[in-house]
Amino acid sequence: MGNLPFAIGFVVVVALLAVTHRLWVPALGHGAASTWRIAKITVAEARRRRVVQAVVVLVLLVLLFMNFFSYLNPREQARMIISGGLSAITVFGILLAIFVAAFLIPQELENRTVYAVLSKPVRRFEFVLGKYLGAMIILAVIMTIMTVVLVGVLLVQDHFVPDFDHSVFEPNLDNVIFAAVMSYFAVAVLAAYIVLISTVSSTAMTVIASFLIWAIGSLQSQIHDLAEAAETVFQKWFFTMFYWIMPPLENFDFRHEVSNFMHVSYRAGINAAGEGVLYIIIVLIVASIFFNDRQM
Amino acid sequence: MVSDEIVLQIEGLSKIFRSLFAPTGVKAVDSLSLSVRRGETYSIVGPNGSGKTTTLKIVLGLIFPTSGTASIFGGNVADVSVRERIGFLPEDAYLYDVFTGEELLDFYAGLFGYPARRRKELVDELLSLVGMQANRRVPFRECSKGMRQRLALAQALVNDPELLILDEPTSGLDPAGRHQMTELIFELKRRGKTILLCSHFLAEVEEVCDRVGIMYRGRLVAEGTLAELAGAPTEIVITTSGLAPEGASRVGAHSAVLGIDGDAVRMGQESSDELWSVLDAIREAGARVGEVRRPRPSLQDVFVRAIRQDAGEQDVAEEVH
Amino acid sequence: MSDRRNRNLVLLLLAAGLLLMTVPLQESIHELRPHVFDPERKTKRVSAINIGPMPAVIAALGGFRTVAADVLWLRVERDFHGGNWWEIPSLLDAVNQLDPHFLLAWEVHGWHLAYNLHAESETLVDRRHYLGRGIAVLEDAVEANPDSWELTKELAWTLYDRGREPWRAAEYFRRADEFPESKSYVTRMIYRCYEGVLDIPNLMEALEYARNRHTDPNVADDVQHQVIVNDNYNWWLQHKDDPLEHRRQIVKENTARAQRSRPFYLYPDNPHWDVCPHCGLPSPKGSEFCSTYGHPMKPSSGSSRSPGGSRPPAEATSI
Repeated sequence: MGNLPFAIGFVVVVALLAVTHRLWVPALGHGAASTWRIAKITVAEARRRRVVQAVVVLVLLVLLFMNFFSYLNPREQARMIISGGLSAITVFGILLAIFVAAFLIPQELENRTVYAVLSKPVRRFEFVLGKYLGAMIILAVIMTIMTVVLVGVLLVQDHFVPDFDHSVFEPNLDNVIFAAVMSYFAVAVLAAYIVLISTVSSTAMTVIASFLIWAIGSLQSQIHDLAEAAETVFQKWFFTMFYWIMPPLENFDFRHEVSNFMHVSYRAGINAAGEGVLYIIIVLIVASIFFNDRQM
Repeated sequence: MVSDEIVLQIEGLSKIFRSLFAPTGVKAVDSLSLSVRRGETYSIVGPNGSGKTTTLKIVLGLIFPTSGTASIFGGNVADVSVRERIGFLPEDAYLYDVFTGEELLDFYAGLFGYPARRRKELVDELLSLVGMQANRRVPFRECSKGMRQRLALAQALVNDPELLILDEPTSGLDPAGRHQMTELIFELKRRGKTILLCSHFLAEVEEVCDRVGIMYRGRLVAEGTLAELAGAPTEIVITTSGLAPEGASRVGAHSAVLGIDGDAVRMGQESSDELWSVLDAIREAGARVGEVRRPRPSLQDVFVRAIRQDAGEQDVAEEVH
Repeated sequence: MSDRRNRNLVLLLLAAGLLLMTVPLQESIHELRPHVFDPERKTKRVSAINIGPMPAVIAALGGFRTVAADVLWLRVERDFHGGNWWEIPSLLDAVNQLDPHFLLAWEVHGWHLAYNLHAESETLVDRRHYLGRGIAVLEDAVEANPDSWELTKELAWTLYDRGREPWRAAEYFRRADEFPESKSYVTRMIYRCYEGVLDIPNLMEALEYARNRHTDPNVADDVQHQVIVNDNYNWWLQHKDDPLEHRRQIVKENTARAQRSRPFYLYPDNPHWDVCPHCGLPSPKGSEFCSTYGHPMKPSSGSSRSPGGSRPPAEATSI
């Protein structure tokens, strides 16, 4: 069913890349190098600003207070810790993504640090990509730390909570880690959208729009329902477009399955990750179109 | 030093900024044409809002012209290879403020793909050029304005550019800082760099540049060497002290004297005998001679004159420093 | 100028091409996670059109249904222990809407309605109402979680024990029994349902079925199951054409059930309870220790009897 659009898309992409190869192939090496340098300095800047430390302390506090459900039965306790912990990871990840990504480029413009970089042999796309990658590295570090803490809490609780024969404390570690990784993809996709918005709008608007996109992206299945249930052609067309344009955040949300100890489809996760990477590339391409045309 | 090779060519450049509030647009640059030759120091001078920075940004590809072209080394500035040969000092330059001078320069040098060892040498060299060796480990945000500006200049020099574009290099600096910056620009000029700078501060330009283009309301209203613009000196000014009114009227009666403004006696470019006789007249009037000058019209005068001619307006001088 | 426009066009086409390439990925995700994406899925979590409970809608905006369900669940817990029983159904409604895969919440919801509130109700109409609601909730639960044998069993049990619908109950027990992780007592409950209403043909069939299930001699549970089922099977084989014996058996069982819920001291020959010699409270027959305070049930000669407040042993109170 999806093979025809895929084939069309694939042909278009390959054809375009082939036709324009003289433009982008020679730029690849140097472009990758400067992208990486910009990513690195973005990370270094965040480290100097002690963004990571502040967030980590906050999250440690939240996660360490996860063991106050001791009056519940073991399975419920596990559920509470897993769903609360994964949600904490996702929320902090997303809030951080919003505040890091929304300021990533506007801050450069406002401080005029961008001029010194863009007057060097750096393409604007490389600049956008480098800043985005830098933010992603920061977020990856933070979310990894949070996940490690959550796993630690689960292991400790598993050791201390006495199991009943009808209710067992199940740390469900594989799935918890899997869900955390998928949350990272959600954060990455959302961050790409935020970077896109920040190239065309003011910071305050970007932050507001980011929250909106986050909410809409989380209602992905509802929009899909609306598209399926549409009564007129226009409605169907509108909701379908909307569905494909908004970030597919629900694809990455496995918290529900994991905290209910349901079957988790890793296959769906891998597909979602692939789709997420494609979405990130698409959104960054659009962002670079806007950024390329931006008057600075 | 100045060769005939044209490094920067701007032709018929116009830029109209359109916005919600000005749907018809604001004309920032209006059919501007100029060219800079290799080894030359060219200065665009004009009051705030005359379109200098806009022009530089168009040249650098940071904004896009509404019409006309700007080419550097015969190429488009959108081309990355062109940018490897230019350096840019932005106005009120601000760099990533958590990093120290050497880290910043290392980063900017890295953008040109230089290997680590070369970067290290380069950073040392540049820091000593701009006199920041001692403060190399001071974070940018803790630097003084002068230090920041010098670091920003060093950042523009990491690739040993052939063309250097400086936007208001001395703005906001104290006299000492201004002097240092001017010295640095002289040094770069001596090294054979082509320099395009823009400023609304006329004195600095006067000292440094070979050619000046005066911009006003987006247009180039006058262009040429300083001598061309200013013309030859036409009068002698004698500064006196203790010139009494009746003595002044006696001095004023001298045939060579053009006029007296307070303590300053202005006279035409006559022979030295005439000069001596005027000096005698002043001494006889019981006044002392402080200084004898043959002033060339300052760029300021040229500037005001050019703008007056162009705009036919009265009080443009107010807009000029 | 047109250079830039061309490049932008190429980039846009590229983006469109890549977007088309995501179509099969998304479709496979729809197939792999039908409980999230299938438009025909049994419970749409929170419908955007029919706005459900407010907390559900708000939580849905950020994808925090599960956490919101947790918070409400903690409130259910508090209300339950605080005796605020009548508030619980609405909270549990929200929990089920927010997280329809939270099995325990469904189970507790159905049980609370069909047992606790049913028992607490003062009129027959109310009782019927809460029983019906409890069963309806469990039906929804099974519909939302067709993969859960526990909920199916819970529904079956409620239908059997409270709903007096043994045939439907048997049907759901049968369904629960089809899950590999189901327990052997579920298998036995199928024929128990028919037993109570003397549906002999179905009963014999269910017994046959139970005899052929759980036959692994290496699993202790299976061996025990075989013993129980064979016992029952033999009994029914012997008496299946003897209605009088059936009647007797029913009376026996009903008496036993009645006795289980009557004050034990009214039935000194109560076959289900032993009385603790220390505190005088009842414990299930044959217990080694008192189930209330853990006293040893066999009176030890050496130990002194606890003083005042303790009930005399059963022998002393026989009427």
